[in-house]
Amino acid sequence: MIGNLDVVTMELQLAWRNIWRNPRRTAVILTAVIIGVWSMVGLGALMRGILIGMIQNNIDTLTGHIQIHQQAYPDDPAIEHSISDPETWMSAARDALPAGSRWSQRIRIGAVVSNARHTRGAILMGIDPAAEARLSFIGTAVTEGAYLADGDTGGILIGRALAQQFDTRLGRKLILTAQDSDGEIVSRAFRIRGIYQAEMADTEKGFLFVNRQSAQQLLKLGNRISEIAIRLPAHEMAVPVANDLKARLAGSPLRVRAWPEILPLLKAYVEMFDTFILIWFIVVFVAMGFGILNTTLMAVFERMREFGVLKALGMRPGRIVRGVLLETLLMLVLGIGAGNLLGLATCWGLSITGIDLSAMAEGVAYAGMARIITPVVWIRDLLRANLVVLLLGLLVCLYPAIKAARMTPVAAMRHH
Amino acid sequence: MKHGRILGMICLIFTVLAAPTSLFAASAAIDPAALVAAGFDHYRGTASISRVEMRIQRPTWQRTMRMQAWTRGTSESLIRITAPAKDVGNGTLKRGKEMWTYNPKVNRVLKLPPALMSQSWMGSDFSNNDLAKSDSILNDYVHTLTGTENQGEHTIYRIESTPKADAPVVWGLQRLRIRDDHVILSQEFFDEELVSVKKMTAHEIQLMGGRIFPKVWKMRETGKTEQYTQLTYLELTFQDTLPDRTFTRNALIHGGR
Amino acid sequence: MGTIVECNGVSKSYRQGKLVVPALAEIDLCVEAGGFMALAGPSGSGKTTLLNLIGGLDDADSGTIRVDGREYARQSKAQLADLRLHRIGFVFQAYNLIPVLSALENVEYVMLLQGVAARERRRRAREVLAVVGLEGMAHRRPAELSGGQQQRVAVARAIVSNPSIVLADEPTANLDSKTGEGLLHLMQRMNSDRGVTFIFSTHDEMVMAYARRIVQIRDGRIADDLHKASEHR
Repeated sequence: MIGNLDVVTMELQLAWRNIWRNPRRTAVILTAVIIGVWSMVGLGALMRGILIGMIQNNIDTLTGHIQIHQQAYPDDPAIEHSISDPETWMSAARDALPAGSRWSQRIRIGAVVSNARHTRGAILMGIDPAAEARLSFIGTAVTEGAYLADGDTGGILIGRALAQQFDTRLGRKLILTAQDSDGEIVSRAFRIRGIYQAEMADTEKGFLFVNRQSAQQLLKLGNRISEIAIRLPAHEMAVPVANDLKARLAGSPLRVRAWPEILPLLKAYVEMFDTFILIWFIVVFVAMGFGILNTTLMAVFERMREFGVLKALGMRPGRIVRGVLLETLLMLVLGIGAGNLLGLATCWGLSITGIDLSAMAEGVAYAGMARIITPVVWIRDLLRANLVVLLLGLLVCLYPAIKAARMTPVAAMRHH
Repeated sequence: MKHGRILGMICLIFTVLAAPTSLFAASAAIDPAALVAAGFDHYRGTASISRVEMRIQRPTWQRTMRMQAWTRGTSESLIRITAPAKDVGNGTLKRGKEMWTYNPKVNRVLKLPPALMSQSWMGSDFSNNDLAKSDSILNDYVHTLTGTENQGEHTIYRIESTPKADAPVVWGLQRLRIRDDHVILSQEFFDEELVSVKKMTAHEIQLMGGRIFPKVWKMRETGKTEQYTQLTYLELTFQDTLPDRTFTRNALIHGGR
Repeated sequence: MGTIVECNGVSKSYRQGKLVVPALAEIDLCVEAGGFMALAGPSGSGKTTLLNLIGGLDDADSGTIRVDGREYARQSKAQLADLRLHRIGFVFQAYNLIPVLSALENVEYVMLLQGVAARERRRRAREVLAVVGLEGMAHRRPAELSGGQQQRVAVARAIVSNPSIVLADEPTANLDSKTGEGLLHLMQRMNSDRGVTFIFSTHDEMVMAYARRIVQIRDGRIADDLHKASEHR
């Protein structure tokens, strides 16, 4: 094609001039597209932020990327389903872990915590303080008092919400009661060494941390543990590494699970959110699409005569469709560009402080969300929003474009 | 392992007074630990059968239940509800530190998990722990005599019991009043801040089943005047022993004796 | 030079609601290449319809139309469009320039559709604008030009691609007589200099006077066909 580029230039120029023939109408379309794209990008990022916050939260909050348990533990987290001889397994698994992975042995057993006035069920976590600190949130979460020291057998860390509920403070005593490995009910006093804060109040109420040796002693576990938690350098590694571990530990009494298996609800959430974001995009688009369609139809009818002339001059129908679509494309690109800028700016603004939802922390915790939401812009979401607007926008305008192209020149020129 | 919280209740429902050992003469050197031990020993017996009425008093309602109880030593007991009709057959079995409950409506025996041990027993002001844990006051506390008072011909000893360091007890302090004939008149429980949480008192002390025994027991949460649980012994007999089968799950379901 | 337009038994009627209004009935007409012909008649006589049919802007109900040897009924829409693009120029009563393009660009646009290279386009457009006497106004938009000037641009647009035939529907109707005459002179010059066949419709006696052949249309039929000597050259 001779002079193809130059034809495109001329056509672009023509389209550009045409869209500014009626600035008000163009402004209406642009506004619709800008608001639409802005809300898609902004709300998409917000939803993505909530989702990522949820995943991060869960992985930080003692899930890790991979967990290894005794076969039956996940279905029945009872003390008798503990891992014997964890060191042996660990040394077998170690080779499968990429550099930068961290792991920790834990006791994780249901227990009852009480003081003189209060009592509630909670999960007793027996941890290796140093290893755990590199793995989960607890290492940096203590806001009052101090983190557990190695060998501090009588110390316990509790959450702020539990401390409030129990009306207790640093240095006070809590009694833990649980069933030991013989099925006997055992209890022991611990002193509160530190009070931690977590993203969710439920976490703060639900988890108590003591040294692994204390828990093993109390529960008569010897060197048995409940789980091995592994944290990988990146989220995406979880499933492949877990699969590798499964292969290596096949035939052992252990069960390896990556976080999507551990938190199927979260996984379902992630998928649901993905669909939800797309549905949201389409809903926004439908609102926007009607505006675009209507305005483009008006613009086409107004210029029907001109299309007639162009056809009379020998313009092929396909070229007329192309011309109308080119005008739409220009407007869409402009609107999308501005909408993206506005959306990204909003996200950037919001991400400086994050959106603090702690005022409604109860409801938020119920939904498993973080207290502070930071919008997260995913290139994929961005592309998806833009593609939805661009493609559906063009698709919608195909109708007026074809209408313009279909008219015989005489009918078109007589149009008015 | 030691645990335990209170005892009072245990005594009252589950335990029976054994023969009171002649202890302290009102002599100069009174050993408060011995005093407490004697007080609790007073209720320990070989075996007992009793009928008890329990009244749960609340500001807006009250509920009365009757029950029959069998006890043997300090660690075994069986309680079955005999009234009201809708609760008949409900029962609690305690053996050692473990407890089971039976509900005829669901026809199931449930072993109480740790989570339920601190729950209220039958909706009363007693917790399952109050029933399950014994010996705690004897083993986990250090006792100090803080004073004496006279009541008619009796001398009453006031004792403060402080938990030993790291003892697995929730209380910060207990205060006991023990009469010189070993009858415990009251037991008050304090939290770690030394604020009173609840108090049990003994009333209508009389000869029952051949022993000096409080006919009425009250457990009241501190500061709540209209809210308490009261136990009244309607009948009490002491025996040398009871057969093993009295304290089985079968007995829990089908009745004791 | 042979025949450039050949109409045989061409009929056309329009629907107005339930009414079928006949516009043309059984028209037979041949136009020689290089002709300068007027379709005359009062408004509503069918001359614009005939012009549209010859231009392939509308379909005949019956009969055949052949332009440059090609029979319209056998052409696809796209082929018809191409035929118009390369062989036929149009001048409309209402000028019908593209309002967002300058005079120069309006002229260029047809060549753009033909795929003429940019430099060539520009050169030829300037040349034609000079021919119609608008070299100083190349960059004005239609709204900045007078009616006569716009119609000159329209003529320039019609002839720039060297068509075989230019169809002009009442080209002078919106112009004052002096401007109209100027336009006719221009068309005559194109006809003589470039050999472009002109067919224009008019009901104006003055305009008819310029034509070498006048075909009178009345009630959809050819009422008269007058060939003149070319005294107006």
